[in-house]
Formats: sequence, structure tokens, C-alpha cells
Amino acid sequence: MSGGWSGIPWSWNIVTDVRLLWSFEFMRNALEAGTIIGILAGIIGYFVVLRRSAFASHALGHTGFSGAAAAVLVGAQPVYGLLIFTMVTASGMAVLGKRASSRDVTIGTMLAFALALGLLFLSLYNGYAQEAYSILFGEVLGISSSEVALTFWSSIGVLAVLVLIYRPLLFSSLDEDVAEAKGLPLTLLNLAFLVLLAVAISFAVQIIGVLLIFALMVTPAAIAVRLTSRSLSAVVVSVLVAVTGVWGGLFVSLWTNYPPSFFIVAIIFFEYACVRGIDALRATALVEAVEAPEREGVRSLRNASLAASVSQVLFVGGAAVLVLSLLSYPAATWSSPPLSGHMLWAFVALASAAILATASSLLYFSGFRKMATSSREFITPAFLTLVGLLGIGFTVGGLGLYLTGVDLASSAYGLAPVAEVFGAPLVLLGVIFAVVGFAGQAVGSWRMGLRYQDGALRAGAILMILPLVGYGVSFFGYRRALAQGRTPAPLGAAE
Amino acid sequence: MDAELLPSHPAVYRSPVVPLARPGPPAIHAERVEVRYRNKLVWRDATFDIQPGEFVAVIGPNGAGKTTLFRMLLGLHWPSSGMLSVLGAPPHRGNYRIGYVPQRHTLDEDTHLECDKLVRLAYPGTRWGPGKRWRPLQWGPRFHPRAEREAAAQALEDVGASELGSRSLSALSGGELQRIFLAEALVGNPDMLLLDEPLSNLDLRRSRELVETIHGLVRSRGVTTLLVAHDINPMIKCLNKVIYIANGKVAVGTPDEVLTTERLSSLYGVHVEVLRDSRGNIVIVGGEDERGEEGA
Repeated sequence: MSGGWSGIPWSWNIVTDVRLLWSFEFMRNALEAGTIIGILAGIIGYFVVLRRSAFASHALGHTGFSGAAAAVLVGAQPVYGLLIFTMVTASGMAVLGKRASSRDVTIGTMLAFALALGLLFLSLYNGYAQEAYSILFGEVLGISSSEVALTFWSSIGVLAVLVLIYRPLLFSSLDEDVAEAKGLPLTLLNLAFLVLLAVAISFAVQIIGVLLIFALMVTPAAIAVRLTSRSLSAVVVSVLVAVTGVWGGLFVSLWTNYPPSFFIVAIIFFEYACVRGIDALRATALVEAVEAPEREGVRSLRNASLAASVSQVLFVGGAAVLVLSLLSYPAATWSSPPLSGHMLWAFVALASAAILATASSLLYFSGFRKMATSSREFITPAFLTLVGLLGIGFTVGGLGLYLTGVDLASSAYGLAPVAEVFGAPLVLLGVIFAVVGFAGQAVGSWRMGLRYQDGALRAGAILMILPLVGYGVSFFGYRRALAQGRTPAPLGAAE
Repeated sequence: MDAELLPSHPAVYRSPVVPLARPGPPAIHAERVEVRYRNKLVWRDATFDIQPGEFVAVIGPNGAGKTTLFRMLLGLHWPSSGMLSVLGAPPHRGNYRIGYVPQRHTLDEDTHLECDKLVRLAYPGTRWGPGKRWRPLQWGPRFHPRAEREAAAQALEDVGASELGSRSLSALSGGELQRIFLAEALVGNPDMLLLDEPLSNLDLRRSRELVETIHGLVRSRGVTTLLVAHDINPMIKCLNKVIYIANGKVAVGTPDEVLTTERLSSLYGVHVEVLRDSRGNIVIVGGEDERGEEGA
């Protein structure tokens, strides 16, 4: 499906767009493979970054090119050539480059030889241009169901081995000499890791190609370690970045007629640039002035306060626009999908508000938790913030159920009763929980502001009134619309 | 020494004798040990005992074989002749009774990971598999994740770095990093600590602070400690023994025995002057320049 694909006619209605995409088999395969690879790359990438094996992963991808070329030459599936070549090279790297310090030269030498082999194979093969192009830059839209299955099971295998060896692997990455003294088999661990990396890369090449492999294997983890220094959170963030990058790239490429690989790399690069930018801005004067034990807490709360303020403004704005457009809509137009114009932007604002509110709540929680170690008055805000997080989840989940639920009645899933029964109550419960959470954040922020005589934190506490305004606007607007008979039917029911 | 210990350290009250006098085999026993590195003689004829609970400085010029001594104690390098025993047994790799802080470290300012995690990963057993209860393969003593967490917290507290636990390794200063490495070595509750140049990148004040911390550990935990250093002065008052390695020979004894003009001159084979100032600081003049070209 490469090259000749000319974009899908798409509307502003995201729901119908997604449904349309999902109806193409090649797109389903691409999304499934992309998700699996995103998860795998995000996890393995974390170890790549901590072990400083970025060059190895780059080189393994290039080696895979020769393998794929060899496979094409003998008429086999490229992925088998990729697997064999990358695994052999990985073993060579592990055996020859024992110490991190001497690895680069070994890897580079092997890389050059592998590429030379690739050149030879290509010149032996006649119709090489198209094949070479798809190996170099990936051909995500050409993935078959059987390839998806193979990708899935191999990824499961790689992750299972990684789970088994991750502790000694992590430790030997951090402190090689001590790991050696402790009797860890360094060469064996390195070999195991590079072989796992080789397998992951062989499958990732299908999505993004050998030349761009770096963006999927290394950059997401590089973004993650800049955002958090906890290993589990870093792995989660890394996976999220990789998966959303693949999804975003696929969607955008289908609507624009440009290659998915470009958009995947562009999205991930953009995120990297943002993170580096935020990093540069983050060292505020207050954070530096506070003593070490509480510095982390203050830093989290400062960031939380910023994210929460933006989220609240978006929430109130989004709710207001939504209610206004709701009230100004002629009742009849509800029979066609209403996601357009102002309405769309309102939804985008609300969705961003929800994401930001989740992020800020997490930051608040981590801040309060760190403060709680030195002062007990922050235990309650920490707990309430957790309740609030649950509330945001319930609200979003309940709205999702309500908006999509009825439509599912006509599908094979038969989820409609569940959605109708639980959608609205879930939203209500979510709102209550969220308000409790915001109250907790306000109290904690205020205490923090008093403790450090910091205006920004106190202002953040006062701004916590804004979500209440947002909920109020939504509630009374909805009542009004209900009275005027302008309430929207759940989205899908319109059809 | 005893009189100086008693008032400040509660651990001393609990045991009737200071750790120095603990019964049992010596912590390190070396008899006519000769060591070669790539077929080149490093040093030979080393005979000495280090008793449990002693604080020992290992000093000598670059390339004299100080790190080689550590590698032998860790079971990573073997004596070419002679007998060496560590904590009552021949040296062997993976000895969890020894805590080690190497001179080189793999991690750098790009290692964005919580300090606490590094210390916990170093908990003995070098556990395989995920956290919590499932531990299919495990080396060393049995343990529980909670024990691991508590041991890490205790180790961090003992080196005065509790507040660094949740900070990122990438954000630490040289002195803070050395404390984390010390906690990493200490987390398995070892009987012996081998510290390879922990003071090399620290200014004088930080050096003294770290030496005080280490000395505190030696006294409270009774852990035998060998510390490689270039400058002996920050720790001269706390030391029980000095191992001086130079010119292919090893001299061991109390600082007053070893660091004398006569002893060092005979060690180097040329005249070396040991000078002391009014506060007990030592300056060694002559030895290092004279032997520089000869090789060890």
C-alpha cells in the first residue's frame, strides 16, 4: 500500500474518522504492530539509554539492512534476514566489546562491514529500488496479519526474558566494576541484552525502517529519563511516548499522503524538543533556595501548580464554549454529528484540560508525598489528591461510556446497557471525587505557600476555585439545554 | 584510641571491647604474596595481617599496585605465589561480605535514576526477576523486598545521605555521589569495605567530612576498611594501620611505624624524607620522583 495511497477523506468528527480507519485491514494491522513495537521499543529503549547503547541500537538497525537485503536475494521474508543478521552482529559486539569504554570502535567496525555486505547483496539483486526503500524507511502500511502475530509473540518472548534479567542488567549498567566484583556475568548479560535489542530492532524496522530506528528505540526513553528519575515511571512514560508517536504518525500520514515514518519521527522529535526546552526553564530561584530534603517536593508542587492553572483555564474556557454552542444550536442539527466548529475546539480544550489535570494531580501527589516525609500536615492533601485522580478518571470514563455507549448497542459488543446504566452515575461520582481532590490540592498548596512565603503557590491554591466554576457552568448549561430540548443525544445514536 | 572512642559512640558501650580486639581469624592474612600483572611483577614478598575492625589506608605512588591489591581481595586477580585469605577464606568473586567502591564508575551526569534505586539494586543476592515476591533465581542470602528497602534506607542514613535517596544520580555533586557509592557498598551489611580513592575529587573539607563518616562506620559497624588515598593527612588521626606499596614492595604497620624516613627510604631504596608539621600532618619528599621511571 505504499506510495500510491492518496489520503482518506476525513471530517472533523474524530469518532467517525477513527471508525473509518479501523475498517481497513492494513490499517488495523499497522496499528496493532505499531502498538506492540511502541511498547517493546519504549521498554527496551530505557535500558538502551541507561546502558549508553544508543550507538549499538543504531548500528544493529543498519546491520539489519544487509540481513533484509540478503533475505530478499534468496527469496525469503526480510524479517528473517533481519533477525539472523542483527543477532549475529549483536553476539559479535557482546563478545568483542566487553567494556563500555571500548565498545564504540568495535561496533563501528562491524557496522561498516555489515553495510558493505548489504551493498553487495543489493547489487546482486535486480529490482532493488522499491525493496531497499521500504527497508530503509519502513513500510508500516504493508504489514500482514501473520507478521503482526510474529511480532506479538516475539515481543512477549523479549519482554519475558527482560523481566527475568532486568535487575542484574540495570545494576551492571550503573556500576560495572562493582557488578563484576559481585560475580555478575557481565559478558553474558551484555550478550543477552544485545540479542534482545536485536530482536526488538528487527521488528521495529518494519514500522520505521533502519535509518530512523533511533527515533523509536532511543528518543522516547531519552524523553522519559528527563521527566522522571524513577525507573518504573520512566518506562511507562517511554512506552507512552513511543506508542502515541506511532499512532499519531499513522493517523496524520493517512490524511496527508506523506510517509508515516516521517510523522512518527517528527512527533517524537517535537516531544523531545519540548522536554529539553522545559528542562532549561525549570530551575527556578525558589527551588534552588530551598534546602535539599524539601527541594524535590517544592519543585513538584511548583510544576503541579503551573500545570493545574493551565488545565483549569482550559476547563472553564472549554466548558463555557461547549455550553454556549449547545445553547445556540438549533435542536434539529443534533441529528448529524455535532463535532465541528467551536464545538470541536471546546472538546479539544476539555480533553487537554483532563490530561493536564491528571498530570498536575500526579505532580501534586508526588510533591505532597515528599513533603509528608518531613511534615505530617501534607498526608491528607496527598490522600485527597489521589481521590481526585480517581475522580478525573471516572469523569472521563463515564463521559466516554455515555457518548459512545448507545452506538455500541447496534454493534456486536452489546455494551449498551452497561453504558446507559453506568455512564451518567460514573460522571457524577467522578465530579464529586474530583472536587474533593481539588479541595485537597488547594489546602496543600495553601499550606505550602505559607511555609515558604511563596505567592505563586498560594495563588495556585486560590485558582482551585476555577474547576468548581467549570463544573457549575457545565451543570447549569446542561440543565438549560435540557429545558429547551437541545440536549445532544449520545454521539453514535445520531446515525 | 579507646578513650577517644568511648564518649561519642553508643555502639562501643554495647560491646565490652572495642572491635579491634575481636577474636577469630584476621580479616586479611597475607603470607609471602607475590603478584604479577600481564607477566610483569607488581609487588612481592608481602606478609601482613589486618585485624577485623581496623581502618587501614593504602598509599603509594600511581601504578604501584594498590588497585591490584583490591582486585585480589575481591577474587578478580590471583596472586602468582604465596597465600592470601580474606575473612577466613580464600578470596573469591561474588563475596557478598565485601563492599567495594571502585575508582571508576560507569554512571555519569546523564544517569537520571534515583539514588535509592542504585543502593537497592546493590543489595546482596543481585536478585533476578521482578520485585515483590517472585524471585526465581537468587544469589547470596535470602531476603525480602522490605528488608531490601529498609537496608537501603539504613545504609543511606549511616552515610548521612537519607535526604539524597529520592534525588537523581545525575544531580549530585562529587561528595554526595561518594556517599551514595559508600551506601551502595554498605547495603549488604559487609564485614569489609574496600574504597578505591573515594577522596580523589573532593576538596579538603569534603575529604575530612567523608573520612569522618567512614571512620564512624568503622567504629559503629566494626567493619574492616581499606581505603586507597593519595593524601594520608585527612585521615591520619583515625588510622589503625597503613599499607604502603612502592617499588615492588609492601610495608605494613601503624602510621608511626611505617611513615618514617628510615622505613620509606629502605622501601624505595633511595633516600626519602618524611616531614611532620606541628599538627601531625605528614609530607613525604623524594620517593615518588626517584622511582617514577623505574616501574613497579
